[in-house]
Amino acid sequence: MIGLNDYAPVVGQEVIEQLQRLADRLGPRRFIHINSTRTGGGVAEILDRAVPLLEQLGLDVKWEVIHGDQEFFEITKAMHNALQGYKVHLSPDMLDHYREINRENARKFTWESDFVLVHDPQPAYLINFLRPQAKHWIWRCHIDASRPERLVWKFLQEIVSQYEASVFSMSQFAQNLPHPQYLIRPSIDPLSEKNRDLSTAEVRKVLDRLGIERDKPIILQVSRFDSFKDPVGVIQAFRMVRRHTPCKLVLAGGEAIDDPEGPRIFAEVMEAAKDEPDIQILLLPPDAHHEVNALQRASDIIVQKSTREGFGLTVTEAMWKGKPVIGGAVGGIVLQLRDYNTGFLVHSPEGCAFRIRYLLHRPEMARRMGKMAREFVRHHFLITRKIRDYLTLMILRENPTERIMEL
Amino acid sequence: MPMPIGKKAHNLRELLQALRELDESVLYYHIFQSRLAITQPAEEYPNEFARWAANALQDSKLAEKLSSFDPFDYDNLAQVRQAVVDILEEYLWDIPYVPWARSGFEFHFCEASTVVMRSQIRAHTLLEFCESLRKVGLDSMYYHFFEARWRLGVRKADDFSFWIETNFGLPELVAAIRGIDIYFYSLREIRDTLLGLIHQHLGDLCDRTQ
Repeated sequence: MIGLNDYAPVVGQEVIEQLQRLADRLGPRRFIHINSTRTGGGVAEILDRAVPLLEQLGLDVKWEVIHGDQEFFEITKAMHNALQGYKVHLSPDMLDHYREINRENARKFTWESDFVLVHDPQPAYLINFLRPQAKHWIWRCHIDASRPERLVWKFLQEIVSQYEASVFSMSQFAQNLPHPQYLIRPSIDPLSEKNRDLSTAEVRKVLDRLGIERDKPIILQVSRFDSFKDPVGVIQAFRMVRRHTPCKLVLAGGEAIDDPEGPRIFAEVMEAAKDEPDIQILLLPPDAHHEVNALQRASDIIVQKSTREGFGLTVTEAMWKGKPVIGGAVGGIVLQLRDYNTGFLVHSPEGCAFRIRYLLHRPEMARRMGKMAREFVRHHFLITRKIRDYLTLMILRENPTERIMEL
Repeated sequence: MPMPIGKKAHNLRELLQALRELDESVLYYHIFQSRLAITQPAEEYPNEFARWAANALQDSKLAEKLSSFDPFDYDNLAQVRQAVVDILEEYLWDIPYVPWARSGFEFHFCEASTVVMRSQIRAHTLLEFCESLRKVGLDSMYYHFFEARWRLGVRKADDFSFWIETNFGLPELVAAIRGIDIYFYSLREIRDTLLGLIHQHLGDLCDRTQ
């Protein structure tokens, strides 16, 4: 099992000691996370790594997952899309169903806690049933909510306003709410199976197993098959690049159980990639972390051409592996990727194609950007920083009137 | 810890109005504390108002004016606020239109809560000080080199030069440290610059104790 001290060579001993001192100051608090899936998607991945580390710091941590039927996840996916700006209509029956599933889940939760962090809209309504069971309720929004659909946000705003604080990934996502809002940037774990160093032999073995030849430069996008990740736009960009420069495209993605749109988007991608032997589409299971790691390390350029993005973990993962990233100039990607320094921000398939060509013809520049990208991640986006933010958040919420605290 | 307050400015007039009304903590965040947030690897503009003028309003002239303003020329935040308001008022007075931010580039106001922790790293000699500078986090650099300028109430003085002056004298080194133009260096570069200055001035004498 990975211990906190294993992170010291990566982030420095001082950072680890700082976490321990913050945790000591906080004491053995009970801390519950609630989300809607244990596997698949960024939130589950973040919790999978953060929960054991918080436990090692002496906190009593639980990770609860709510369960729902297909209809519930279709409704919450629609809410997710609406928060990201899509026009959707949620009927009163749909909203009742959302409330009812939350009520059913609430009956199963008998714990008591000091802090509850509720992730995203799916379990947000639980507070209506469980409020007395915890001292501090905090809502965590992982979504790019910079321009939410008005009526859906009105509905959620009423629910979220009952929390004592909320947490967003960027100031652009924050909303007009009657309680304090905080910024916590998501992060990656450098020691996880998805990000740990791999030997050349390990990388080669995975590529052989997946049937990927390294006869041409590899362009990679790793993401769920979700319209906001714009996999079809990536294929368009690739076709434009191919007219000038030989290369191959790998689109690797999995499915999350709380995302019912996955199969439809996957079919669209298959259709768009038809008759193109240099495009490989991989449907990977949610726990294919080793494979994703090897794919990212084997690639020459990594793309994350999202049209909305709360925070693209794959951008940061790729940067940590010293790769230049071409990302959609949206949401958290604008914060994660420094335009012209660690990669490029793009606004269209044309822009994406142009930057891919540029980097394919400038391998030295690509290497330099990749090197800078790794250091940028080391200082801003590793899990130790996020653990520090969680601990600080709890200390601040226990002392709500203090703006400057000396420990 | 940054705390967005859920308010934004779409154009320069809204920014001006907000700066007149919002708490000083908001001003303090965008002029000083944002250094601790993610910034461009090569700092082009010294504060978030100048950066917004350049990137969102695409108004280089205003960005230049906001860049040349030095908050350390003032004794308190009320004076700093007035200085920024004066720049914006004068600028708006002279132009026949109100500059608007590009869509998606609105100015989002934040403030911050601060938790200060005593580090376990201590220095008694200048040699230990040099070694410690390499070990401490960038948040320590911010606290001792930026925030100290307000906390100490001594213009241009930071914790590091204050400690060296108090314990060792060394007026030339102290003057060199206070002469660092903090606006053009990232926190990491400031650390390297400090180390370079100490070695340049002291060489092998780094381990003196008095």
